[in-house]
Amino acid sequence: MESTSAKAPSFLSTAREQQRSMVEEYYAGLAQAGGAKRPVAYMLVGGNLTEIVRSFGYEVVFPEIVALNCAIKHVSLPNILHAESQGYGLDVCGYVKNDLGLQDLGGETPFGRIPPPDLLVCSFSGCYVYVKWWEALAEKYGCPLFMLDVPYMRDPEPQAEDRTYLIAQLKEFITLLERTTGRSFDLGELRRVLARSRRAEEGWVEYLDSGRGRPSPIEAYFEAVFYMFPINVLRGTEVAAEFYATVNAEVKERVRTGQYPVPEEKVRLVVEGVPPYPSYRTFWDFFRKWGAVSVAATYPKVGGLFDRGFLHDPGRPLESIADYSLGAYVNQSWPLRRKLIADYVKDFQADAVLIHGIKSCRSFTAGQGDLRDWLIHDLHVPTLYLESDHEDPRYFAPAQIKNRMDAFFESLGPRREPLVPPPGAP
Amino acid sequence: MTLVAGVDIGSTTAKCILLEDGAIVGKSLAPVGVELVKDAERALEKALGEAGRERREVQAVTGTGYGRFKVTFGQYTLTEIGCHAKGAHYLFPGTRVVLDIGGQDTKAIKVSDRGEVVDFAMNDKCAAGTGRFLDVCAGALGFDVSEIGSLSLGARHPVKVTNTCTVFAESEVSAYVARGKDPKDIVAGLYASVVSRSLSLMQRVGVEPELTFTGGVSRNEGVVRTLRQRLNLSVNVSPLSQYVGAIGAALHGLERAGSPPP
Ligand code: SF4
Repeated sequence: MESTSAKAPSFLSTAREQQRSMVEEYYAGLAQAGGAKRPVAYMLVGGNLTEIVRSFGYEVVFPEIVALNCAIKHVSLPNILHAESQGYGLDVCGYVKNDLGLQDLGGETPFGRIPPPDLLVCSFSGCYVYVKWWEALAEKYGCPLFMLDVPYMRDPEPQAEDRTYLIAQLKEFITLLERTTGRSFDLGELRRVLARSRRAEEGWVEYLDSGRGRPSPIEAYFEAVFYMFPINVLRGTEVAAEFYATVNAEVKERVRTGQYPVPEEKVRLVVEGVPPYPSYRTFWDFFRKWGAVSVAATYPKVGGLFDRGFLHDPGRPLESIADYSLGAYVNQSWPLRRKLIADYVKDFQADAVLIHGIKSCRSFTAGQGDLRDWLIHDLHVPTLYLESDHEDPRYFAPAQIKNRMDAFFESLGPRREPLVPPPGAP
Repeated sequence: MTLVAGVDIGSTTAKCILLEDGAIVGKSLAPVGVELVKDAERALEKALGEAGRERREVQAVTGTGYGRFKVTFGQYTLTEIGCHAKGAHYLFPGTRVVLDIGGQDTKAIKVSDRGEVVDFAMNDKCAAGTGRFLDVCAGALGFDVSEIGSLSLGARHPVKVTNTCTVFAESEVSAYVARGKDPKDIVAGLYASVVSRSLSLMQRVGVEPELTFTGGVSRNEGVVRTLRQRLNLSVNVSPLSQYVGAIGAALHGLERAGSPPP
């Protein structure tokens, strides 16, 4: 079944170019950011308060995204080693060590200098590491730290008392921002930012939904990761709002001309877990060789489960921000996460699930072993669990990962279609 | 007449099986060095020699094991997971779970009634609980691994040995030796450690009869006995247990060469 015709990844060319220049401009812009004129807020992806800080004129930095950019550019290890030399242990989250190491080394990256924070906003949504990480940064920089305590999401819909609790905190946050910036809260501006966010979210959802097509015109994991940047980092800006129109026009063109990310779609996958960024291409290649395409994935939704209805609403500004924070993927209880994955398998007609566990993440990853067992034994969905790291290249063992993947795809063959082995492959 | 070969290049040995119309007609086993292509060639030549057959008569060669891509003269490759499922089903058609403990790997494989992989679990990056683990610990006791198979017989107070790290286990064994523990008890502790690690892998795929034990470590009678006791289940072990991967590879070639498997 292994296809030898796998070509280089086909990206949506105009969109990819636009995305690349958006990333470059963003990092170039950061070089001048910081201080009273263009203050910098550090934020975490899950359940973030981007729209509120933007309405106060803040530039936003997401250290998790800086970390993954470092990993993909193969420059994370020196930062990690530096953090380890300061006493951070082997099992501390790689994102955290990349960030704290990088901060201590001066913030220089191949894509630009990351400015220190003027404000730290910790949306405590499911990952307890967030709290310690932001406390370490607050200690280093002595800047204000706002802790948004997001109750764990236990029910499919946000509960009224949780929403009320969050709105009360958002009001405190706004008071803090007024005090630190000397500016008054501008509800009109917040609504405008939210309207732009919503446009980006709707475009993003349209892109993700196209994975339902057979064959899928998108790679909903490896390719979608590139298009996550605007929805996560630039949400609330005009460029992000416009970007997905370009993406979706190209997806339609793909369907019209029959150009699919995997030339011969053989296996449709739902993927759960953070990618192994230090070996992103190698990992992707392992899939493409088998004609496997991701049709839906949970990871691209860490910045918001917009495809499940959590859209920002300029008509309900604080309520919708509260609902958004509550609905962060990392903040969902395991029964909700399981259901989401099972729904994706059904709705996107997937053949199998791949779970990529992260060695140094004990928040997002904990429970994935049980998820695997549940999918296999209760739902009878073939599932492969692989493990490496999102940030630390030392954990990626290509031969072992490839072996497991080959065995998995081989085993799918007899259950789906006659196995055609690769002639004299690797 | 269909003559096919399966060549299994593992981390410590190269094995070859020749099948003619589904029956084993030749086999070979030799340690591997650094030149895996040559090791693979030699394994095939030796098996052909044993069977009195010529290379040109072989209709399909399938490579398996970590070095499967070094069987460059073959037509097919299949992972050792798929091959162990097929090979175990060939030797014991009632097999539903395969436990394979090789030089550096432990695998639990759930198998369908047609010998296809349904699910599998493998040890992580550490070689604890594998053949290499036993080699190292036997060395710390002053034995060769081939000498310790029945040593646990008569153990009275098996010691506890870690099963998470080969290096830690080796130091533990050395410490027990220094404390004057009976080697029988130490070896029994080692076997319990290997078996408990395998059990946790098997539980991930689900233990059900029949269980077939394959790979180099299945030749160790002490491990087999401990496994049977722990599971309270009969365990299939073939005299050809080290060749199961190669048998599966040959069967894969047979399927490809057009004849149905036996
Ligand atoms: S969820 Fe995992 S990867 Fe993300 S910050 Fe927490 S520990 Fe790190």
